[in-house]
Amino acid sequence: MSDWSKVTRPIPVPNEWTRPFWDAAKNHRLELQRCQNCRSFQHPPYATCVQCMAIDLKFEPVSGTGTIYAYTIMYHTGDKRFASAVPYASIIVELDEAPGALLAANLLDAPYTEAKVGRRVEVTFEKLNDDITLPQFRLAG
Amino acid sequence: MWDNRCKIAVSGVGFSKVTRSADIPLAAHALTAVRDAVADSGLQMADIDGLATYPELPATGHAEVDGISVVSVNCMMAMLKLPALTWHIQVGTTNIGGAVQQAVNALLAGVCKYAVVWRAMHNPSGTYQNLPGAYAHGAAQFTAPYGFGGPGQGMAVAYTRWLERHGQNREKMATLAVTQRRHTQHNPHAWFYGTPLTREDYLASRMVAYPFCLFDCDIPVQGAVAIVLTTADRARDLKPKPAYIAGYGQRLHFEVAGRIGSLSSYMEGGSSSAKLTWERSGFSPKDVDVAQIYDGFSASVIYGLESYGFCKEGEALDFIQDGRIELDGELPLNTFGGSLGTGRIHGLWHIIEGALQASGRAGSRQVKDANVSFVGASAPIVTGTTFIFVGDPY
Repeated sequence: MSDWSKVTRPIPVPNEWTRPFWDAAKNHRLELQRCQNCRSFQHPPYATCVQCMAIDLKFEPVSGTGTIYAYTIMYHTGDKRFASAVPYASIIVELDEAPGALLAANLLDAPYTEAKVGRRVEVTFEKLNDDITLPQFRLAG
Repeated sequence: MWDNRCKIAVSGVGFSKVTRSADIPLAAHALTAVRDAVADSGLQMADIDGLATYPELPATGHAEVDGISVVSVNCMMAMLKLPALTWHIQVGTTNIGGAVQQAVNALLAGVCKYAVVWRAMHNPSGTYQNLPGAYAHGAAQFTAPYGFGGPGQGMAVAYTRWLERHGQNREKMATLAVTQRRHTQHNPHAWFYGTPLTREDYLASRMVAYPFCLFDCDIPVQGAVAIVLTTADRARDLKPKPAYIAGYGQRLHFEVAGRIGSLSSYMEGGSSSAKLTWERSGFSPKDVDVAQIYDGFSASVIYGLESYGFCKEGEALDFIQDGRIELDGELPLNTFGGSLGTGRIHGLWHIIEGALQASGRAGSRQVKDANVSFVGASAPIVTGTTFIFVGDPY
């Protein structure tokens, strides 16, 4: 299992589009940008709805269960801050309620060999500091 | 079909030395390549009146310094002091293929007569792809905290999806790496000229970002390549046999920045560009005699072969087997060695090889009787452009 305890992750810097996502994550809630016209979710947040071009977008909660859409196992240690976790699984998650909205994460609490396309996962939260908590994923129980 | 089919041609081509480290400023490499291309055409530098490039450094976390890590149009203008210069441009959305297409358009518009396009690539010292510092801004806030750095991992996630959805096996990619390295042995300009690669080497090589091993990734190098484009009439009066541009296209699909892993975005990018190219040129995949498909990471070739229409989705790793992509195969592929053989110079070298094959100038790697020569000049997802060159303009 990857040892994340010695990894120093780059800290996300929220901006006007993304702040609600990080505010929700801080309270251990996963909220995604949703179009108030066609009701589709999208991620990463964007200025307009990429489905229908509406500009009325709000962040709404999602349950946080989904499947591994894709993944890679990182072996390269070019960035020393992540070297202690190598090999580790970086995954792309497609949430049940938000098809097409793809979230990057790491697969936590499981050997990297458990990362497979289609495997069920659920959200968990990793606190980086008082302002930022990262949504992460683990295999669904 | 396109009204301007075969009205513009590639004439001369030029190369600098390809080196692993930046011993001399990149501007010197670019100047060497441009001089070489102009001389290959039989022109004088003073004849050149158009300049175009795409000056990006694809490494992240490094400073862009003109003349050192990129070579802009301004830098080239300062070096060449062209007395007849009438047109120039730098492109942003479509990589170096877009610069070539803009030069084609300028020649068709009659705002220049002889345009030079170059691509100069720097290899910075230290780690090529650096994650952002302590903080991740912009699109990186959703990727960098999870260890996603350069484009390799972004492409690797789409590759696992492709492999597992189609029940495929990454070991089949050895055929691409080994065949291209064999082609490389006919290209003295390439970084890996003189260095063979076996199937065993590929299968034993260290993993970088699964499913990519070391030999799925092009090696960062320092170097430059260049071409001269002109109108078909003028090209016929120059030294080399022209390679006529029968058609071109560019990707018409774009993903929101930071959305990574989507396989469909590669397919939609590639197919939109290829569709324009087939329609404009009047050709279809079955007419193609030789193909160059961008291979900065090996999986790009899969997405290219499938989205351009050479084979069905899910079949590319089977398509490349059984000698099909050899120089005497059904679809000779990346006959100059590809980026996996030359080193990371991006797609202008693919365009150069497409032109050389169409005009019968590819030397010991020349595909016999090649006329219809296809090029996919960059990864179809972000910056995809496609071209067809022909030696016979009818």
